[in-house]
Amino acid sequence: MGDAAAGVTTRTRTIDADFALIGHQESWRAAADVLAVLRGPERTPLPDDEIKDILPWIPPRAVCHVDVGSTAGAKARGLYIDSFIPPDRLEAAYVHENIARVRKAAACAIQAGAKIVSLGGFSSILIEGNFDQLPERNDTVFTTGNTLTVAFIVQGIQKMCALEGRNLRRSTLLIVGATGDVGSGCVRCLAPLVRRVLLSARKGERLRGLAAELQDDGVQVEIATDLQRFSAEADVVICAASLASPSLLLGRIASDAIVCDAGYPKNLSPDTQMLGATVFFGGLGQITGGMRFAPDFHGILNRHPFPDVVHGCLLEGMALALEHRFEPFSQGRGFITQERVDEIETIAARHGIYLAPLYNADGPLEDGLNARWNGREDESMGERPSRTVESSF
Amino acid sequence: MEPLIDVNCSPMECTSLSSSAPIWQDILAQAMTGELLAAMNYASLSEIGDDPAEVADALEHAQGERGHAAAFAAEGRKIGVDVVNNVGAKHWKRLRDAFLRCITERDFIGCLIVQEIMLESFAVASYSRVGRVAPGSLGETFARIAAEEEDHVDHAMSILRAERASDPQRFDDKVYRLHLDVMTTLAQMLAKECKDGHCEVCHASCVKPSLFDVNLSAAELRGASLQQYLKTLDMLGIPGEVTLRWVTQLPV
Repeated sequence: MGDAAAGVTTRTRTIDADFALIGHQESWRAAADVLAVLRGPERTPLPDDEIKDILPWIPPRAVCHVDVGSTAGAKARGLYIDSFIPPDRLEAAYVHENIARVRKAAACAIQAGAKIVSLGGFSSILIEGNFDQLPERNDTVFTTGNTLTVAFIVQGIQKMCALEGRNLRRSTLLIVGATGDVGSGCVRCLAPLVRRVLLSARKGERLRGLAAELQDDGVQVEIATDLQRFSAEADVVICAASLASPSLLLGRIASDAIVCDAGYPKNLSPDTQMLGATVFFGGLGQITGGMRFAPDFHGILNRHPFPDVVHGCLLEGMALALEHRFEPFSQGRGFITQERVDEIETIAARHGIYLAPLYNADGPLEDGLNARWNGREDESMGERPSRTVESSF
Repeated sequence: MEPLIDVNCSPMECTSLSSSAPIWQDILAQAMTGELLAAMNYASLSEIGDDPAEVADALEHAQGERGHAAAFAAEGRKIGVDVVNNVGAKHWKRLRDAFLRCITERDFIGCLIVQEIMLESFAVASYSRVGRVAPGSLGETFARIAAEEEDHVDHAMSILRAERASDPQRFDDKVYRLHLDVMTTLAQMLAKECKDGHCEVCHASCVKPSLFDVNLSAAELRGASLQQYLKTLDMLGIPGEVTLRWVTQLPV
């Protein structure tokens, strides 16, 4: 490499971050793409076996700068920090190692002076019950981002029901991972809107507590740690389990069920046989005021079939930064209420952050069906984003 | 070269290590060569020092590195192998040449970056990993020397941080230039396979494929070394996003 290129490569930037996003890659393919961008187009991509050898040794650190814009004119500068959790270690056996990685990523965010930090994907799951394990911070606050994730899951369910001509009020709703922060938030928002609720999670005690809370509000609820034990079939399903469950058996669901896979990593394997069910990826939003990565990681860090689509957990930090509300909006487990969801939805919408177009592993789901969608998004969030939105700044 | 059985070796230790002795022999040879090269580097550094305290420090470090080399040779004798060294071997010679270019330019800071940030990161990380798996006094020696090398880094770090504070951009550009020179060579040494022929230090064929037999691997030593390097660059204050690109761009 010549000296000129060297100068560019070593250019030291003064970090002045409004927000930081802590994330990780969901698959080895995604990790390979990130490393390929870092290596640059003039170098051959690393072979797969080398990537699997190298990635676990990379300490958490900033990967790129992220600038976002609001449709209201505000701008915010941020950093994407990768915890470099290897994709094959996103499971309980590595929980301590992974928490240590998130802690180090959090320290990077603090050092960069980020005013608010969103914990993306598995980082959020690891920390939602362990906020005390984050490093000491002065002017940096952390949010799991789970409230906006819940907002987009709920909106997605409502939208898909409308697109499919379903009446949500007659539905039996099954939530897998119901006692987690995202799962319980979805329960609180959707239980009043459906006929019956089935809750599943690994910990029976937490399930019983959540069921009691719902029953006090007159909700018809059934709980089970084993999905096969429910007495009724669900026709609307939200998968919000904390770990990837490619073997998740959804046998007790209606053949034409609507299934929202809200996990990161995904709860359902792409080759899961779902018969006539309609599966979509939930919890995703789209930022319509523009998003720019430096270096350019478009389509690498946000691997979606639509532009500027980001997970709700990360968008929450961006929305709060654009709003100049540097506060730990989502913390702990089990505190997400309809009121908090309404509040973050309003903040996000004010800056042009909306539910992303729905899609699944086979591609977009809404072609030809949009005319039937008449949900809350149209009523309360202004103009819906165009699919052809490009980064504009 | 065939391992030689030392009559002073305890029967139990010789028996337990007999099958892996040729592997330890090569690991010790690489370590000893590295230590002798470091001793030569510090001796060269003492020749360009203006400050008597710096000169004394460099000479003391050179003496310490020679002591480490002797300790590795002694560990070889304990397990009945003859530990050779070859500071003229192709990779090590390139590393020495890179250091000597800094000496020629009387670039004290460049010398510290090459020796303390780059070569010592490699030594600290790899000796630590070897120290965890090597049996008995062999493991203890690697662990002890890793700790002593880490002390060197701490000493140099304060000088280098002060230098960076005066002009971060100039400092980072210098580190990057040296990185391209030195770390490219180290990355080739640390590659999982020696793709460009024999390293001229291993006593027979390349030791890397045999490392699994002593619970090590070339990938682990490379990973640990590059991780240590990244952490050391972090301590200097060079942005992590920049150093991540540097390291991911190294050859594999």
